[in-house]
Amino acid sequence: MDISLSEEDLKFKQEVEDFLAKHLPKGPELWTKRAEWFAALKEKGWDIPNWPEEFGGPGWSATQHWIWDNVTSKEVLPPTLPFGLVMLAPILMKYGNKEQQERFLPDIRDNKVMWCQGYSEPGSGSDLASLKTKAELSADGTHYVVNGTKIWTTMGHVANYMFCLTRTGNTGIKQEGITFLLLDMKDPGVEVKPIITLGGSHHVNQVFFTDVKVPVENRIGEEGQGWTYAKGLLQHERKGIAGISRSIYALSKLKEKAQRVQVGDKTLMDDPSYKQKIAKAEIELLALEYTEMRSLADMVNSGSPGAQSSTLKLKGTEMQQTIQALSLDAAGIYGAPWAKKIGPKFAKGAMESYLNGRPATIYGGCSEVQKDVIAKRVLGIG
Amino acid sequence: MDFDFSEEQTLLRDSVQKFVKEKYDLSDRRKMVKKDPGYSEESWQQFAELGWLGLPFSEEDGGFGGDLIDTSVIMTELGKGLVCEPYYASVVLAGSALRHGGNAEQKDRYITGIISGEIKATLGYAEEQARFDLNDTATTAKKDADGYLISGTKSVVQNAETADYIIVSARTSGKRTDNKGITLFIVDAKAEGVKLQNYPTVDGLRASEVILDKVKVTAADILGELDKGLELLETVRDEAILALAAEAVGQMELLYQDTVEYCKQREQFDHPLADFQVLKHRFADMFIETEQCRSLLYRALLAKQGGLAESRRVIHALKYKIGEAGRFVGENAVQSHGGMGVTEELRVGHYFMRLAVIDATFGNRDYHLGKYTELMEVPEDDGAEDFMPFM
Repeated sequence: MDISLSEEDLKFKQEVEDFLAKHLPKGPELWTKRAEWFAALKEKGWDIPNWPEEFGGPGWSATQHWIWDNVTSKEVLPPTLPFGLVMLAPILMKYGNKEQQERFLPDIRDNKVMWCQGYSEPGSGSDLASLKTKAELSADGTHYVVNGTKIWTTMGHVANYMFCLTRTGNTGIKQEGITFLLLDMKDPGVEVKPIITLGGSHHVNQVFFTDVKVPVENRIGEEGQGWTYAKGLLQHERKGIAGISRSIYALSKLKEKAQRVQVGDKTLMDDPSYKQKIAKAEIELLALEYTEMRSLADMVNSGSPGAQSSTLKLKGTEMQQTIQALSLDAAGIYGAPWAKKIGPKFAKGAMESYLNGRPATIYGGCSEVQKDVIAKRVLGIG
Repeated sequence: MDFDFSEEQTLLRDSVQKFVKEKYDLSDRRKMVKKDPGYSEESWQQFAELGWLGLPFSEEDGGFGGDLIDTSVIMTELGKGLVCEPYYASVVLAGSALRHGGNAEQKDRYITGIISGEIKATLGYAEEQARFDLNDTATTAKKDADGYLISGTKSVVQNAETADYIIVSARTSGKRTDNKGITLFIVDAKAEGVKLQNYPTVDGLRASEVILDKVKVTAADILGELDKGLELLETVRDEAILALAAEAVGQMELLYQDTVEYCKQREQFDHPLADFQVLKHRFADMFIETEQCRSLLYRALLAKQGGLAESRRVIHALKYKIGEAGRFVGENAVQSHGGMGVTEELRVGHYFMRLAVIDATFGNRDYHLGKYTELMEVPEDDGAEDFMPFM
C-alpha cells in the first residue's frame, strides 16, 4: 500500500501548476481572455486531454488525468463545450469512419461548433433503451427520415448539431434496432421548444422532429448498433460527474464564507449544529477522496475503474448536493430574493446552485439506476 | 499509487484465514465461549508459533517489526472469524502501551513474554463516570514510602480475567478531569488488593470490572512518564481504533455478502427476496458504506504511518464512520434476514453484536464526531471573493 506519486508524476503536477500560474485568466479576464487560454492549451497539447494520442491527445496516464483534475479543481477555468469534446468525440474516434472523423473532429477540438445530446425522450428516461424516435431509411437508401421527440436537451437552443439515438428496428429486444445519427439542427422539420427549470433558467429543451432528412453519411457505424456505441460513452459521463476534488474545494470555501454570516455576536461557523453538518460532509469527502484514488489505482493497475465507478457517481453527486444545501442554509432568507443587488453578497448564487444542482443525481443514470448497477455488477443479483 | 497488500501481508492474511477455517466453526465457538477461559490456550500457543503475537513489536524487542497495516490485516481476518483469543487485549492494547511507553527493562521483561505467549496483558483505561474521556480519571495512585498505592475501579477491562498484568491509568496529581497528572502503571494481576468482577460480553468475549484497593506498586512499574500518561493513552487509542476499524470492515463485508446470499435463496411472494428493488438498493447502500469505511481506514492507516498532520483527525473521522456504518450495515443485515437474523444460529447476529460493542469501545460515533468537529480545520476567510462557492 503506497499513495506516493512517482517522481515523474510529481514533475507533471508541478508543470500543471506552473502552466496555470502563467496562462489561466482570472476574474473578469476569464471571459475576455478565454481565446488566449485555449490557444495556450492547444500549443501545450493539453486542449484535448481525454483524446487518444493518434487523434492529437497528450496520452496522459490515468494518474495524470487525476492530477489535472485535482490541481484545476481549485481554480475557475473558462468553460469548454463538453458534449462534443468529452462525449461525442470518443464515439467518433472509436466507431466513426475516416470521413466523419475528418469532418467533425477539428471543429470539436477548436470549440467551434456546439453539439447537443439526443438521448432522453418523454417516455424514456432512466429506461433509455425504450426510446421510440423513429428513423426510416428512404427507398433509394440515401437518407433516414426521422420522426419523434427528444427531451432535456441541454443547450439544444444554441447547438449546431445533435448526436442522437433513433429506432430503426423492433426485434422485441429494446437494446437492438437503435441507430446512432448525427443531425443538423438547422434541418427542416427540427423544432426546439424551451423548458424552463426551477428558478427560471433556460438550459434544457424539448426537440421535435417532423420528417427530418438525415443523410446516411451521418450514421455512426452499423445500423441497429447504436446502443452498443452509446453505452460505452455513459461510463465516461459517469466518471466526470462525480467532481470530488471540486467538492473538497467548495466545502473548504464554504467554511470560509460561513464565517461572514452573523449569528448573534458570533458566526455561523460557531453554531454547533451547522458546524457538525459541515464535519459530517467533510468526513464523507475524506473517505470518497480515497475511494476515488482506489478506483484510480485499479484503473492504472488493471485498466478498469473497478467496482467503485458507480459508487463515485452516486456518492459524488450526493456530496455536491449536500454542499449546495449547506450553502443555501448559510444564505438564510437571502436565498429567496430573485433579484440582483439585494442582500449580502455571500448569499448570491446559493439558491441558483442549489436548484441547478438537482439534476446531478438524475442525469448520467440516476442514483436509483446506479444502485441497480451495483446490485447487478458487484453483488451479482439478477 | 497502489492499495494492494504486500506479498508478506497476503501470506499473513492467508494463514489467518486458514486458521479461522480450521478452528472457528460457529457452533464450536458458541460452546467454547461458555466455558472458561472463553478461548483456547492451544490456539494461543499456535498464535505464538505462527509469529502473530510478535507481529507489531520491533525486531530489537524480539518481534517481527510489522507496521500498522500488518496489524490491520490480522485484525480484519480475526474479526471475520469472530476469534476470541485475547489478541486485541494483549498484543494491540497492552502491546501498544509497552511499545510506546516501555523502558528497556520493561520491554525486555514484558514484551518478550507477550511474544512467546507466556505473558498475557491488558489495559484498564475506562471508568464509569468518565464515559469516553480518557482524562477523566478518579482512580488515584498515592505516593507511599517506597512507591504508590493505587485505588479505584477500572471499567470493562478486556480479558482481565486471564491477564497476568493489567496496565492501568491512575491519577498521580491534579483534579479528576485534568489532562495532566495521569500516570500508567503496570499492575500484577495477582497483587494484593486487586479484585476482579468477571463477566462475558455480548460479543462472546470476556471483560472485568477491576477493583483496586490500595494496590502497592513501585516507581519501576510506571509505564512512560510520570503525570504524562494521557498522551500515551491517546497514542494507544489511535492504534486501537485502527485495529478495531480493520476488524469492523471485515465484518461489514461479510454481513452484506451473507445478506445478499441469503436473500438470493429465500423465497417469499413467489420470488427470491433479492428480486425486490427495495432490498437491492439496501444491499447497494450496505456495500457503499462498507467501501467508504475501507477507504477511510486506508487513509487513516497511511496518515498515521506517514506521521501526517491529519492523522489524529482522520482517526476520529474513521471511528465515527465505523460506528455509523457498522450500525447501518449490521441492523440492515439482521432486518433482511427476518426472524433468522435474531437467532444465534447464524453468524450475522454475532457480527451485529460485535459491531455494536466496537462502536462503544474507545468512544462511540457521537463522541468522535464531536472530536472531529473540534479539530476540523476552518480556514480564515480571505475576504477575496464575495460569493458562495459555485459548483
